[in-house]
Amino acid sequence: MNRRMRGRGMLAALAVLVALVVPDVASAQAPEVVIGVLYPMTGPVAQIGIDARNAINVALDIINNRHDLGLPLAVEAGLPRLGGAKIRVVVVDHQGKPDIGQAEAERLITQEKVHALFGAYFSSVTNTASQVAERMGVPFLNADSSSPALTERGFKWFFRTSPHDRHFSVVMFDFLKDLEQRKKVKFKTVAILNENTAFGSDSAKVQEEFAKKYGYEVVARLPFKTGSPSLDAEIGRLKAANPDVLLPSIYTSDAMLFTRAAKNLDYNPKMILAQDAGYTDPKFVAEMGREAEGAVTRAPFAMDLATRKPLIPVVNDMFRRQSGGRDLSDVPARVFTGFLVLADAINRAGSTAPAAIEQALRQTNMPAEQLIMPWTAVRFDETGQNTGVSAILMQLRGGTYYTVYPFELAAQEVLYPIPTWSERK
Amino acid sequence: MRRSTLVLLGVLAVLALALPVVAQLPYHRDLVIKVLLFGMLAQAWNILAGYCGQISLGHAVFFGTGAYTSTVLQMQAGLNPWLGLLGGILLAVILSQVIGYPCFRLRGHYFAIATIAVGEIVQTLALNWEMIGAGRGLSLPIRPDSLAAFQFHRSKYPYYYIVLAFLLICLAISAWIERSRLGYYFRAIREDSEAAASVGIPVTRYKLIAMAFSAAFVAAGGTFYAQYVLFLDPESAMPLSLSILICLLAVVGGVGTLWGPLLGAAVLIPLSELTRVQFGGTGRAVDLMIYGALLTAVAVYQPAGLAGLLRRAWGR
Amino acid sequence: MGLLTIPPTDVLIQGILSGILMGFVYALIAAGLSLIFGLMEIVNFAHGEFLMLAMYTAFWMYALFALDPLLSVPICALVLFGVGVLVYYGIIGRILEGPMLAQIFATFGLGILLRAAAQFLWTPDFRQVPDAWVAGPVRLLGISLGLPLVVASLASLAAFAALSWFITRTETGVALEATAQDRQAAALMGINTDRMFALGWGIGGACVGVAGAFLTTFFYVFPDVGSTFGLLAYVAVALGGFGSIPGALVAGVIIGLIEVLAGLLIAPAFKYVAVFLLYLVVVLVRPQGLLGKF
Repeated sequence: MNRRMRGRGMLAALAVLVALVVPDVASAQAPEVVIGVLYPMTGPVAQIGIDARNAINVALDIINNRHDLGLPLAVEAGLPRLGGAKIRVVVVDHQGKPDIGQAEAERLITQEKVHALFGAYFSSVTNTASQVAERMGVPFLNADSSSPALTERGFKWFFRTSPHDRHFSVVMFDFLKDLEQRKKVKFKTVAILNENTAFGSDSAKVQEEFAKKYGYEVVARLPFKTGSPSLDAEIGRLKAANPDVLLPSIYTSDAMLFTRAAKNLDYNPKMILAQDAGYTDPKFVAEMGREAEGAVTRAPFAMDLATRKPLIPVVNDMFRRQSGGRDLSDVPARVFTGFLVLADAINRAGSTAPAAIEQALRQTNMPAEQLIMPWTAVRFDETGQNTGVSAILMQLRGGTYYTVYPFELAAQEVLYPIPTWSERK
Repeated sequence: MRRSTLVLLGVLAVLALALPVVAQLPYHRDLVIKVLLFGMLAQAWNILAGYCGQISLGHAVFFGTGAYTSTVLQMQAGLNPWLGLLGGILLAVILSQVIGYPCFRLRGHYFAIATIAVGEIVQTLALNWEMIGAGRGLSLPIRPDSLAAFQFHRSKYPYYYIVLAFLLICLAISAWIERSRLGYYFRAIREDSEAAASVGIPVTRYKLIAMAFSAAFVAAGGTFYAQYVLFLDPESAMPLSLSILICLLAVVGGVGTLWGPLLGAAVLIPLSELTRVQFGGTGRAVDLMIYGALLTAVAVYQPAGLAGLLRRAWGR
Repeated sequence: MGLLTIPPTDVLIQGILSGILMGFVYALIAAGLSLIFGLMEIVNFAHGEFLMLAMYTAFWMYALFALDPLLSVPICALVLFGVGVLVYYGIIGRILEGPMLAQIFATFGLGILLRAAAQFLWTPDFRQVPDAWVAGPVRLLGISLGLPLVVASLASLAAFAALSWFITRTETGVALEATAQDRQAAALMGINTDRMFALGWGIGGACVGVAGAFLTTFFYVFPDVGSTFGLLAYVAVALGGFGSIPGALVAGVIIGLIEVLAGLLIAPAFKYVAVFLLYLVVVLVRPQGLLGKF
């Protein structure tokens, strides 16, 4: 092979490289607040990213325009303490990959000059992206990652509005104990069914810990690969182990397959206590709601709280318009809330300087009436975790979710045990 | 070597060394680092597939081995990551021999699918192995900037030079292989392994040697990645998609050549980043569509890859 | 983790049965792949995406025209036949004499393109046919099984029978088989090998089309659905022996069985590890697969 050609080829490649790294000419920026948003926009969980984006669009509408609502920043257009400056977002797709999350976080900060970061759903990506933020001294607000470890890193710039796996597990296991008293039954065994990447693994680990603490025996530990063509073996194992309570941490697709397979193979769990994800996806509810009768799930958010929180139907309508007919659900509700918290802090800071925003975030004290979430408040502790969180549990009855726990907030009595498939005919 | 080639290489060297100065933004530096890293991974694959003709579709397993070995040794035994790097390479080479010895008996497509099978098996085992964090992954402890700790936070320069050094070593060794008797045997095996065996070439032994070189460099890349991203999980460290990506870069660039894989990386990685940034945010996967179409087009119209295209464009 | 747990007998039998039935479905998906390879020694790495297209076709027939997936079976078969032929003339025909790498990556790129296009057009949302005609459990000898799965596996067997009849009893089929055995000899006998190849791709597509339509009665549809099924199909083809259609059938069933048994007896986390290990063992003992020719 001709060496001259080879060398020219290399020059060409290098030219391509150089051309791409010549710094862009900075464009003139209008006075505005820019927030970098990271979500998975492609791949199997892309619907989450799309939901998140729509939720943020609703929040932007409320913040940037005039709305007569009891939500922070609604009444005036833009951020009043920044002279009416509007918020603009730059949304990026991290494709579920931690290294892309890291690179994008850097790009957003150094190139797009964002004033804060928001995202990223997958705990693994939130991990690396927030590391960048910590290094560069930029506030990072997370509204939807459930790994407890994220707020155990001693970070100064990381804030999380949402509850994490341990909060949820406390509620779930307290529920089991309280239900035992209420229904005069005794639970002895549990089984854990989880998808085997970060979400499911994290959740399963915490659940195992809690099962031991609350005195339940784990009779089956079943991690599986999400997207599996068949869950028959898992169902077989569950039938054999026959736990009193099934604890699934699975995504929508697997939840749908699992429910169908349970019906076809005649598996009748008496109690299903799910870790959200698939079970709260509106798609699952719409298509498998009736089949999954009686499933209980933890939920940071519930639509039927609308009776106590008039803000919910209003925001839901706006969301429906953005999303082409999808209702608010767990993730978009948390994203919406987290985004408003961030915007509110920036407003209170009265400046886009990172240190000011960080200070303002620390002093956040948003009361329950301004939230669509069933939390007591948004208040961050020294680790950046919101301490006002609470979770509720809801149960599927006739294809709709009803809040069932805490019992004081319940709209319906808990159905126990779940009727068997033959009883349901 | 001809004088003009030496001059050219010299110019390239200067450019390469000076690149970080030109690429001001961390994001661009990240891009360049990724190009060099993947260029090395693709070239490593090329040693086995391009020179020796064995198509492996499971190379990510070596990447993960390197990344996890150095990380686990660091986190559990406090071992310096550079020593961990050597450990990772050693383990990957051993693994490559364990995989290669039985599997090299298989022909073409059977071998390719066997490598996929091995990759999936190892990834599943990793997802269920508590000691290495299972599905939750491992977060490397953050240490202050230092060469010894193999972590740099204030600037990307050191990462850039390290990966450049890795790449150059890989290219140098590949060039040496190309010219040596080893390369001659590899090519003979690639063209017709039965004929090669019939003239007395110990085919399996040389395939294993190729596999060892290949695995070593991929593992080194894995350790680098772990120290760069500071987070590892089986999904990101050894997915099938990574194995595929490595092959694609080499094929599009020009398999069997010295510069082809790097060329492929230099074109495709920025392209996929560009399309993702421009189009990906809407969730419409436009970036992946372009990627796929390009791959098919290259495979159909220019199987010799971009290197072949350039060769044609400038005439022999 | 290495302990075997033996489930009660009824659960075991239920598992074995459902594994075998699922295996028939895997086999049908693999059949098309095997046929194509037998003809021209090219692995269609976009085969999983063909399945995905078939499933979307069945879904949209349902969503737009209220056609039950069972009715869509011929439609899917036809559509995928067309896709197969198109892919042959548009892409494969041009790289028949090219290097193996090009042959691998041409269909690979196509697979990526199809997957991304599906997401672009139809979003990554999961689609289901909520009330197919075949739904719910059915009891065979006291064991509860999914009716859609039973129907799908029967259809798969029927498809294999039809394929076998076609290859041995019809003139075109015999010509196809002859081309697969020895391309040059077939050409010398006046068989239009180009047309045979296209036909092979078409039939391969049709097989996967039928499989996809039936799969839609009990599995959800989304752009990535082809990946896992596709991977199992490659293993099935390699396990059964590239180019052997009966091999694909046997291998598919074995895979379905191992998947369930490994899950039941060892641990569900290692279902596919067992499948892949089996492939490795078989292929090392018999490098050409179970029923492969070379």
